[in-house]
Amino acid sequence: MSSMGQDLLLILPQIIVLLTAVAALIFEMLRRPTGSLMALAVGMLAAMGLSISRLGVEATAFSQTFRVDAFNHWSVIILCPASVLFALLARSELKGTGREGTVYSLLGFATLGSLLLAGSGDVMFIVLGLLMNSLSGFALAAYPKTDAATEGAMKYFIYGSVTSALMVFGLTYWVGTTGSTLLSALNNPGLQPLPVVFGLVALLVGIGYAASIFPFHFWTPDTFEGAPVSIAAYLSVIPKVGAIFALSQAMKELPVQLVNWPWLLAVLAVLTMTFGNVVALWQQNVVRLLAYSTIAQAGYFLLGVVAMQQSGLAVHSLIVFAVAYAVMNTGAFAVVLAHGTELKNFKGVGKQHPWTGVAMSIFLFSLVGIPPLAGFAGKFLLFGAAIDSEFTWLAVVAILNSAISLAVYLRIIMPMYYQPTMVISNTYSRLVSFVWIFCLLLTVMVGLGVQMFLF
Amino acid sequence: MDFPLLTSTIFLPLLGALAVLFIKPEKPVTAYTVGITAAALALLGAILIWIKGIDAGFSQLEEVSWIPSLGAAYRVGVDGINFPLVLLTTLLFFASLIFSTKIKEKARTYVALVLLLETACLGVFLALDILLFYVFFEVVLVGMYFIIAGWGHEHAKKAALTFFIYTLIGSLFLLLALLSLYIHTDPHTFDMRTFMAAPALKGLAAALTFWGFFLAFAIKTPLFPFHTWLPVAHTEAPAPGSALLAGVLLKLGAYGFIRFALQMTPNAFREYASIVMVIAVISALYGAFVALAQTDIKRMVAYTSVNHMGYLVFGLAVAAVADTEARTQALDGAVLQMVSHGVVTGALFLLVGSLQDRVKTREMSDISGLLHTAPVLSGLFIVAAFASLGLPGLAHFPAEFQIFLGGFSVYPVAVAFIIIGLLVTTGLYLRAIQKVFMGQQPEGLSSPGLSSPGLSSPGLTHYVDLKGYELWAIVPLILSILAIGLFPETLLSVIHETTKMLGL
Repeated sequence: MSSMGQDLLLILPQIIVLLTAVAALIFEMLRRPTGSLMALAVGMLAAMGLSISRLGVEATAFSQTFRVDAFNHWSVIILCPASVLFALLARSELKGTGREGTVYSLLGFATLGSLLLAGSGDVMFIVLGLLMNSLSGFALAAYPKTDAATEGAMKYFIYGSVTSALMVFGLTYWVGTTGSTLLSALNNPGLQPLPVVFGLVALLVGIGYAASIFPFHFWTPDTFEGAPVSIAAYLSVIPKVGAIFALSQAMKELPVQLVNWPWLLAVLAVLTMTFGNVVALWQQNVVRLLAYSTIAQAGYFLLGVVAMQQSGLAVHSLIVFAVAYAVMNTGAFAVVLAHGTELKNFKGVGKQHPWTGVAMSIFLFSLVGIPPLAGFAGKFLLFGAAIDSEFTWLAVVAILNSAISLAVYLRIIMPMYYQPTMVISNTYSRLVSFVWIFCLLLTVMVGLGVQMFLF
Repeated sequence: MDFPLLTSTIFLPLLGALAVLFIKPEKPVTAYTVGITAAALALLGAILIWIKGIDAGFSQLEEVSWIPSLGAAYRVGVDGINFPLVLLTTLLFFASLIFSTKIKEKARTYVALVLLLETACLGVFLALDILLFYVFFEVVLVGMYFIIAGWGHEHAKKAALTFFIYTLIGSLFLLLALLSLYIHTDPHTFDMRTFMAAPALKGLAAALTFWGFFLAFAIKTPLFPFHTWLPVAHTEAPAPGSALLAGVLLKLGAYGFIRFALQMTPNAFREYASIVMVIAVISALYGAFVALAQTDIKRMVAYTSVNHMGYLVFGLAVAAVADTEARTQALDGAVLQMVSHGVVTGALFLLVGSLQDRVKTREMSDISGLLHTAPVLSGLFIVAAFASLGLPGLAHFPAEFQIFLGGFSVYPVAVAFIIIGLLVTTGLYLRAIQKVFMGQQPEGLSSPGLSSPGLSSPGLTHYVDLKGYELWAIVPLILSILAIGLFPETLLSVIHETTKMLGL
């Protein structure tokens, strides 16, 4: 087979996702939103199945610009089904609105952006992936056309434009100094440090925006609050995982001798975790609270990136935490969609709806990192990776942060069980129930069966 | 393969919890029947483990693959150090569940949580894999949080939050220490036996790991100055909750000190033993003096826990530095102290619960002459109090005696100081007994059975002595206190086999 054919075969999962998004768009043009949803579900699950069958394959496509490695496979396996879950949540929330099918199509394109980020072996793919991600995100966030949604989307847009521009500008320094757009060209300790630092800072600005890393997180709470809950859930998972994987791909190459990036990232991790957790302590709106919690979780992700070159656990820890984060966070947002976005909506939920109460508690305890849940497995490996690469102090800070985060999440758990019920029994779509039950099972199973993710 | 006795004992309570949750019995009675049956079966399991025979090393091993890539597996086993704790745990949970039957509110959830807690505690003691240990250790936290918050007294929510966050910080440091053990062992494994057989850590890594363990278990045990969560949690928890908290949960910390700090980082422990010893002495004295200052009888009992745990950790510090003979003595004493404190304090908290139900107050100055109105309650309380202050013939004496005996060879001055603690606890218990049980019974209250509720003075209701369910819960504990005091050798022989083998 020709090398072109081989390359196309290697990126088949991404091609399937692209075709899925296009198919969803075509169904929307035919005014068949249900068809869009079905197309998305079928295509995404097919892509996931294909990537599962390819686990363990290590290759590059298109002259090393795209990497077919663990990050690539797992990004497909995690994000494709996640996008279907978000589509189901969106279906229950936005059913019957004017352009329902575009939501599914945009979710497909956004997911494709994250898949390109996760497999990027070239700065061009990072730029491309980030733009696909954020352009789809603007439209999704603005979808309801309310003032809050428009304001949130506007913030997301402006931050996105400025940070992307900065990133593209700074990355040209990398291209200039290495003479190549390949990330692997950076793996040369003889390079000039200054342009490399320029490029690194620019990359962090762009990635930091997509992954909500302090101090590039400013859009996060407002955009989440304004957007539909299902879109907030999407924004919290898909761009973040893609961006973190892209950062890992770049940091895999960057020599520590040129610039001490592990320290820089470690400092960012500390600021991000601490800021997210501490500010979340004061939130009254559950979506905002979860928005700050996703900022904090981005900080934990960085622990794995810091250890990228020094610990054998780093790749595993990032993948397991990404799986865990996707299921527990999606589950928590699904319960919010079911019960309301204010803290007071959660009063007495544990008595009225015992099972959603238990589910929400489990999602939140998993976010804290309490065993044997998924979040524990992820954090455990992340801490291990950090200690393994002699960043014990970072692991200590992360641990203190976990204790703060417990106080944050208990603010939701407490009223569920220990305050009198306020609302009359509310009903919600079966789709939402499906999503939280699915996430609940996975949150428990990923924690106990973490072995499945360690190859 | 043999019948998995250990695994069955660990998971029987959990099975009971699931049964209670899924059957959804309408009446609390059914929930309690299921719960008590499950706890009784677990107790039976513990006895069968004893009959099957406990060796010096780990025996009755059960192993199932879990995360082979990381070297973690489901491994459980029993030896002379964890077996007494398994026995204590099953006994105390059984007693507490019987005592709990008066809790009618949300009985189903309550029983399920208590049983979950029992599984987690047994898991902690029997686990031979540090990851498994940690999983159970944290589940204990979550279970206890919900019990305190859901069924506690006035300020229960705040107390539960303090308890949860405080001990979570501790267990997170434990996680770090465990990770450090894992990373510094080649090939990587989570098997405890590997770490104990050949403590691999050296230098700074060993020191940091040791202090990680110390912090985690000092919060859990608790030692001064990490004890501040304890009085709050104890005072607010429901009586059976306090009994479990003091009787079993504090032992998780003490057990961790032995298993991890002493057995896995022995050199670091030896190096810092004098610091640990000083902290232990301060805890013992501080606990005793603060208990003396309490007017609330439940807080008083809670602070005596700090005092007793001080003795225990003192014994461990001795074991870290002393020669073989003194080490074995101190360690035997420390392990027995865990069991003694479990049954004694468990009984005391249940009795305080009964007392509070009757007189509606815990202020000692408001109660007097209880011996006249509730003689059985008073009698049992006095026996348990005498045990707690270390009277020979009762449970604490053989334990504390051995700790001090072992300690005398290495820290004679410290022993002299720590014995002051014994004097203070004697004083405070005698004072409490005098105030609460002796003296005149309050006016307007005649002997049981003679007065009708209408005749009693305002604020004081007509007392009834211990009821059947309370007796069924408390009497077995009192009998254990006597048994340990009179025949300590029964348990000590099991403990001794293991402690004399430990070549630290």
